[in-house]
Amino acid sequence: MSARLEAENLYKVFGRKPDQAVERLRQGDVRKDQGDARKDQGDVREELRADGTTAAVIDASFTVEPGEIFVVMGLSGSGKSTLLRMLNGLSEPTAGHVRFGGQDLTELSDRELREVRSKKISMVFQHFALFPHRSVRDNAAYGLEVQGVPRAERERRADEALALCGLAGWEKSWPDELSGGMQQRVGLARALATDADLLLMDESFSALDPLIRRDMQDQLLDLQKTLKKTIVFITHDLNEAMRLGDRIAVMRDGRIVQIGSAQDILIRPANDYVASFTKDVDRSRVLTAAAVMETDVRGDEADCDCETATPDTPFSELCAISARVPHSVAVVDGDRRLVGVVPAQRLIGFLGDEDVEPGVCQSPRDKGGKKVISRA
Amino acid sequence: MPRIPLGDWVNSSVDWLLDNVSWLFTFLKDIFTGAYDGINAVLQAPEPLLLAGIFAVIAFWLRGTFAGILSFAGFAFIDSLELWENAMVTLALLLVATIIALVVAVPVGIWAARSDRVSAFVRPILDFMQTLPAMIYLIPAILFFGTGSAPGIVATLIFALAPGVRMTELGIRQVDKELVEAAEAFGTTPRNTLLRVQLPLALPTVMAGVNQVIMLGLSMAAIAGMVGTGGLGGDVMESIGQLNVGLGAEAGLAIVILAIYLDRMTSALGTHVSPLGRRAAAKARAAKGLKIWSYRPQPQVAVIGIVVLGLVAGGMGLFGGTTDDTATAAGGKKVGEGKKVSIGYIPWDEGVASTYLWKEILEQRGFEVEAKQFEAGPLYTALAQGNIDFQTDSWLPTTHEQYWKKYGKQLEDLGSWYDQTSLELTVPSYMKDINSLEDLKGKADLFGGKITGIEPSAGEMNLLKSKILKEYGLDGQYKVVDSSTPAMLAELKRAYSKKEPIVVTLWSPHWAYNDYDLKKLKDPKGAWGKGDGVHSLSRKGFSDDNPVVAKWLKDFSMTEKQLTSLEAEINKAGKGQQQEAVRTWLKANPGIVDKLAPVENGSGGTPAEAKQPLDVAWFPWEEDVAVTYLWKNVLERRGYKMNLKQMDVGPVYTGLASGGIDLNFDAWLPHAQSNYWNKHKDNLVDLGTWYEPTSLEIAVPSYVKDVKSLADLKGKADLFDGKIIGIEPGTGQMQLVKNDVMPAYGLEDEYKVVDGSTPAMLAELKRALAKKEPVAVTLWSPHWAYSDYDLTKLKDPKKAFGEGNTIRTISSKKFPEQYPQLTKWIKNFKMSEDELGSLEAEIKDRGQGHEEEAVAAWLKEHPDMVGRMTP
Repeated sequence: MSARLEAENLYKVFGRKPDQAVERLRQGDVRKDQGDARKDQGDVREELRADGTTAAVIDASFTVEPGEIFVVMGLSGSGKSTLLRMLNGLSEPTAGHVRFGGQDLTELSDRELREVRSKKISMVFQHFALFPHRSVRDNAAYGLEVQGVPRAERERRADEALALCGLAGWEKSWPDELSGGMQQRVGLARALATDADLLLMDESFSALDPLIRRDMQDQLLDLQKTLKKTIVFITHDLNEAMRLGDRIAVMRDGRIVQIGSAQDILIRPANDYVASFTKDVDRSRVLTAAAVMETDVRGDEADCDCETATPDTPFSELCAISARVPHSVAVVDGDRRLVGVVPAQRLIGFLGDEDVEPGVCQSPRDKGGKKVISRA
Repeated sequence: MPRIPLGDWVNSSVDWLLDNVSWLFTFLKDIFTGAYDGINAVLQAPEPLLLAGIFAVIAFWLRGTFAGILSFAGFAFIDSLELWENAMVTLALLLVATIIALVVAVPVGIWAARSDRVSAFVRPILDFMQTLPAMIYLIPAILFFGTGSAPGIVATLIFALAPGVRMTELGIRQVDKELVEAAEAFGTTPRNTLLRVQLPLALPTVMAGVNQVIMLGLSMAAIAGMVGTGGLGGDVMESIGQLNVGLGAEAGLAIVILAIYLDRMTSALGTHVSPLGRRAAAKARAAKGLKIWSYRPQPQVAVIGIVVLGLVAGGMGLFGGTTDDTATAAGGKKVGEGKKVSIGYIPWDEGVASTYLWKEILEQRGFEVEAKQFEAGPLYTALAQGNIDFQTDSWLPTTHEQYWKKYGKQLEDLGSWYDQTSLELTVPSYMKDINSLEDLKGKADLFGGKITGIEPSAGEMNLLKSKILKEYGLDGQYKVVDSSTPAMLAELKRAYSKKEPIVVTLWSPHWAYNDYDLKKLKDPKGAWGKGDGVHSLSRKGFSDDNPVVAKWLKDFSMTEKQLTSLEAEINKAGKGQQQEAVRTWLKANPGIVDKLAPVENGSGGTPAEAKQPLDVAWFPWEEDVAVTYLWKNVLERRGYKMNLKQMDVGPVYTGLASGGIDLNFDAWLPHAQSNYWNKHKDNLVDLGTWYEPTSLEIAVPSYVKDVKSLADLKGKADLFDGKIIGIEPGTGQMQLVKNDVMPAYGLEDEYKVVDGSTPAMLAELKRALAKKEPVAVTLWSPHWAYSDYDLTKLKDPKKAFGEGNTIRTISSKKFPEQYPQLTKWIKNFKMSEDELGSLEAEIKDRGQGHEEEAVAAWLKEHPDMVGRMTP
């Protein structure tokens, strides 16, 4: 059973006197909370940078529920990789705590931490990080070898993990004989072979071709359905984040600026920075009926025999339904209770990134339009 | 700018190192020479072609058939050049240096890779080691390690260490950070990260470092030839010295063959030991298809195979034809012819020491010796009765006065062999206030009222009780405790270790003064009387029965240092081991036996001193080759064993001064080598001239018609391009030319004396002769250039060059003591111009590598020579 991962007020500062730097960052926040706008967070970070001290992660807190895919999204330099490495102790937090399965990782000795890393947390890397001097099987079995599992058993489990990742039959090959996607499957198999509860994935699909990346994303989602691991996934690609993440944390300059579901971020960006990110996102892939429907219903919209949608119906499908029915699409839940309606106009509005009511035309040329409005 | 006396500091720190940490250098030297001797023995043992075959097999395994064949051809070629032995010496040297270099370099490299601070600290040291000219540490290396393989290994090591460290560090740092992180992310310990990830992936780079270590080591091994390391480097130095381009080419080519072989093998080894390289090789083989010829053993199998082959080969060689060189030395003169001698002794330290010393000496001389222990009284009785032949521990006139009075008439006094004796009361030095016998008064409480004495029979005890106590008013305060010498010493040791007050009766000489920090109590009233001499006494008539031994005993004497060191040795060895201890001591003090028991040397006899091999250094100059090989031949007839070491002038003087070398026959003194002589003269001995006259001069080819004298050079600067070709700057001759000769003839404005080296000067001379160009060179006689080329020695009417040098033999300081017989022979040695010339010609005719035959042939024509040299 997977365990909950908690990060609490994590700071990571590189350079001299990191503890003082953390203190200054904290005080900067306090002043901001008290409404002192002269020094906001960015200023303190810049000041520190001028001193040669880099605040990579500032006050990061979040909780990842068991079985959840938690995506950390941000541009390069936003501190997301550093954040990830604090979660398994590769990088020691300057301040704050990481709790996993009831253990505070920041309080463990090196030896205990290694024990946790070898058994409970595994990691998949951006550039695969396969050992070139080991065969595919030996690579997949690496974590088990570190644990001291006997050869026969670890090879069996490695082969299972490889099969799970679709690499049955490649066990005796060498990493350099495989394509990038296959290499990353080995990387994934290596991470899965140890039966770790927590999977840390550091831009794991970024180095792959777009098509292969999609395959890998599908495979990961597929595997997750059965394995139910707790996954922290780092990416700089919002599309990927939205596709994979149950929840997404957006990072900027070392801080988490927003945490929420894909639709939260898309529809209610916390600030302009996040909003500017969402501009390029293919909304039709992310949005579902639940996000676009109007909940203000009369109650009889679903009484006809027309096609209806569920709150999970993807946006693109919703458009298709909308084209087939003459009126707004009714959204019903599992018990066929009406939860909302989606007028066609609203669909178009979401596509255009505008969540506003249409205006009134002075000389309507299309009566249907008026009809739509009247029904809205 | 003030002069920073850096050089002085270096000098004094070198002195300090020599004085204080010589044990460390000795230890290192033992390691180096031990490893070298071992590897060299293995390499030298098999037949050359057999070993060449093994090398070829290794090449075949590592690289393939063609490489195997080429390797065999290359090594066979070395053998055919008669350079095999030297090539293996060089190889052994190189292997030892490489192994030691790697043992040091790899861990340092790993450390540097893991810590930036270590890396920053190590880097300048490596730069320093790699760029400091080798000569600068070669000479101190002789001071620290003596001559031979050790300084060569050290020099090679210093030079070759850097790439090992650098490449190891680089290799580890080059390993992909993500891979290291991946290892850590899966909980790998740092140790396993290093062993399972970093080192295997760094291995190709590390092996490239190994390759560099070997290559640099090989280049240095040639330079190390200067300090008597021998091997191909020695051949190179010799050929340079003699301007023998042919020999130089041969030796050089042999080095190249070794270098190429080692380079190819180590780089191939690099691919074989690294997992990635093995994979690539396997892939390539798989592509070619399976062939029996492409079979390659796993590294483990290969290593075992090579070791087995090596041992088999070594074993065959070792069992086949080893001759025990040391066995020859045993045939000393057994003048004793089994005659029986019995010695009596009192179990006092000096008695035991001298008795067992004589027992050993006499047994070496063929006597059958029996040593019996007595108390003092019975000893005199037994001696007087003729039951024993002599004893060596009679303290006269004071201590044993009573015995002498009683038995003197039945005894012969063979004289005193040690006279710095004294009797005394002694306290440990930590007894601050007690300095004299007077200070004991009133302090009885401190010492518990006890003076720890020895055997009550001892004269000293008698003296103490009857005279000393009274003189100083200690009667009644102190009680003299009768006991025994061992008990007294045990009591002293116990009190000493607890720092308790104690006063004991003691005497000098005694080893206790060596081992403990003791204070002899002053005797201002002279109550102990004058010091005794330790005499040897024999029964009446012994000197008639055994005149040889009696004479030896009469001449017997020992210094305090000798005696105390011998006593300490015996004491250390413990009871029952006295004679072993004496043997150990004799080994440490060579030459004593011959000094104490000299044997008349008949023709063909082997003096005992011949036991220790002689280290003789020689320069690759004609006269030195001749005289050195002549002595080698003659001395080997007399059972000596000589190690010849070819070296450069500076190292020879340093080696002699440090005692690493015993002899050099080619010292040009007092002028030509005066700079070296003056520097080291305190530690050298001049054994006299064996050849004169010599001269220093400036010479021109005889086709330069108008120049017959130094004065003729004036105004002819154009002809000679304003240059006089010189030799090594700093040599006595060059200083003479620059400071005296040039001004004397007014040449200093016209000519420039070109600094260079002897080989360069000879090369320049040869070049000019070939083109019939005018040239003026600094030269000296005798020199082979005069017999090979038609040269004119320029006359020196103003005698600016001064009197000629003579060629002398010089030795290390301890040589005359160690080799008294040989010293005498060498001092009387002379050679005439004809003799030297004919010998040199003979050697030149036979060619390099056949010196010994040439000397043997020459000696046949000069039958009286052996007798003259070693009468």
